[in-house]
Amino acid sequence: MIMTYLIKAENLSYKINEKKLFQNISFEVNANSALHITGSNGSGKTTLLRIILGISKPTRGSIETNLTSDMCYLGHKNALKQYLTVEDNLILQSIQHNKPLDTLLKDIDLYDKLDVVVSNLSFGQQKKIALLKVFLNESELLVLDEPCVGLDGKAQTFLTSFLQEELGKNKSIIFSSHINLNIDAKSINLDN
Amino acid sequence: MIKKFIHQFASPKTYLKQVDKAYSFIFFTSLSIYLIAIFWGLLLTPEDFVQGHSYRIIYLHVPASFISQSLYLGMAFASAIFLIWKVKLSAYLVRSIAPIGAMTTFIALVSGSIWGIPTWGTWWAWDARIISTLILFIMYLGLISLHDSFTNNEKADKFLAILVLVGSVNIPIIKMSVEWWSTLHQSASITITQKPAIDPSMLYPLFASAIGFTGLVICLVILSSKLHILDRERNKSWVKDYV
Amino acid sequence: MNILYFEFLKLRKKSRGWLGPILVFILIMTAFPLTVEFLNEDLEQAFFSILWIAVLLVMMLATEDIFLEDFNDGSLEQLVIHTESLSFVIGVKILIYWALIGIPVSVIGSIYCLGITSSYEMALLIFPVLLISSYIFLNLFCFGNSLTLTKGSVLGTLITMPLLLPLLVVLGKVVIAINLGLNYFDFLILLLGVLSIIIVTIPLIISFVIRAHLE
Repeated sequence: MIMTYLIKAENLSYKINEKKLFQNISFEVNANSALHITGSNGSGKTTLLRIILGISKPTRGSIETNLTSDMCYLGHKNALKQYLTVEDNLILQSIQHNKPLDTLLKDIDLYDKLDVVVSNLSFGQQKKIALLKVFLNESELLVLDEPCVGLDGKAQTFLTSFLQEELGKNKSIIFSSHINLNIDAKSINLDN
Repeated sequence: MIKKFIHQFASPKTYLKQVDKAYSFIFFTSLSIYLIAIFWGLLLTPEDFVQGHSYRIIYLHVPASFISQSLYLGMAFASAIFLIWKVKLSAYLVRSIAPIGAMTTFIALVSGSIWGIPTWGTWWAWDARIISTLILFIMYLGLISLHDSFTNNEKADKFLAILVLVGSVNIPIIKMSVEWWSTLHQSASITITQKPAIDPSMLYPLFASAIGFTGLVICLVILSSKLHILDRERNKSWVKDYV
Repeated sequence: MNILYFEFLKLRKKSRGWLGPILVFILIMTAFPLTVEFLNEDLEQAFFSILWIAVLLVMMLATEDIFLEDFNDGSLEQLVIHTESLSFVIGVKILIYWALIGIPVSVIGSIYCLGITSSYEMALLIFPVLLISSYIFLNLFCFGNSLTLTKGSVLGTLITMPLLLPLLVVLGKVVIAINLGLNYFDFLILLLGVLSIIIVTIPLIISFVIRAHLE
């Protein structure tokens, strides 16, 4: 039987300091699909994403992955070196990618910021650079934790359209967000 | 089969029950052995040719230093079991042995320096074995402070186990320091292969005091581990029945 | 390969990360003769102990935020997700720190040795010992730093200090051996042996510790 799923999780539970955070979460993510994780603050969305990534381990339950490339993750921290310029921060991705960096920056409205040290950019601008970094990584599965935090309306629409594009290109997305992103996605609520 | 053996004894509840049963026996036998050994050693053995009466501190110093190294080896063994098989009881034991180890190392250092005054003329000398034992003492303190600096207990156990294993390189250094470097310390009088260099009349009380002291330290470890297990497992139901 | 270049770039650009420890080393070594009488005979004997301790302290300073910064801004998580062999990346990171801090410190230390003892032979013989010992110190301090990654690094570094004291004893013996003209190569081989074990095991241990921290 051909395995069609990219990630399959069964009965995941997580306990922290003897208190249950969530229990019996099961889902399956195939190619070309998106999964939206919802829940109130503190319900364990970030923890679930970290379990999916393999950084944390669930207290009970199992998770299987069937990916050919690494996952790409954007969490609450944006993994940018504050004392390096934008160009330096994107250097790994620009080596792999063919398009030159300034055209990519044009898409997110930061065209002339290639030589600017990251600490001089605003929070939203840094978030956009971090998103660009993640998208350039060309992986099958994108994992995003609250991607809309700090983005203005224009950037949010850009994000939504970009994610739709990626879904079309045979990629999958797992994300957690309070804001509705208008993407075709299955939903899981952690507030049980 | 080993897994079954380990899982059988790995429950803190079973451990506490067994240990409670054994405790009074161990305590009274080792206390009596040690008191007999001390009495014998202090009063009934002859004077040493070179050192006079001051050698008698050997009945405290030798067991203490032997125990402090053995406790560390025990901790290293328990840490390895914890890291490989994830037996929580081992982690509890490691944490509860650490203060006892620090105490015995301290006794060894202090009794050693008291012994040094009549024999070497000084209460402190920078020789290899003393330095390595001092390092062992500092390592014990470091282990305790490392574990207590974490609020998340599972992480703390893991890091403690790793640090114990990395620090166990110090034990061979202590044991071999007397051979590798020419030091003030006398070399081992009792080896497995050769005839003991110490007179039999002093040897027997030494053995007896070693056994007695070991037993007493085991009692301390039992007490400390009971406290620690009850503290860590306080949310479990069997603790409420036990206390 | 690309990750290695990126790590190098990071350290190179962060000038307080590598220039700071080197300057502290120069400061200590320059201040040392000022605190004793200049033309004292014992200057040479005390010099070597100050040299080893200065290298020790500088390596401790250098590793103060080697992982902390990456942990705080999320780069460490990215490394864990994207690389197959985290221990290799950590090993390379430590190598880069050694290349940018350990090698200059060894060179400067040998020059100071030349200045104090006025013997080219001594300075040349001390140089490889400095290189190896600074790398060993660096590895062990990185290990200590990684243990208390989330709490601020000083406790962890202090905890691994006891493991380094035997090494200091050996280093003292090396100087005596050079002075007496015997056994130098035996000591060098011993140090190389210790270094080779440490280079392989410490990055493995550190990667295990970091994964445990991120859980």
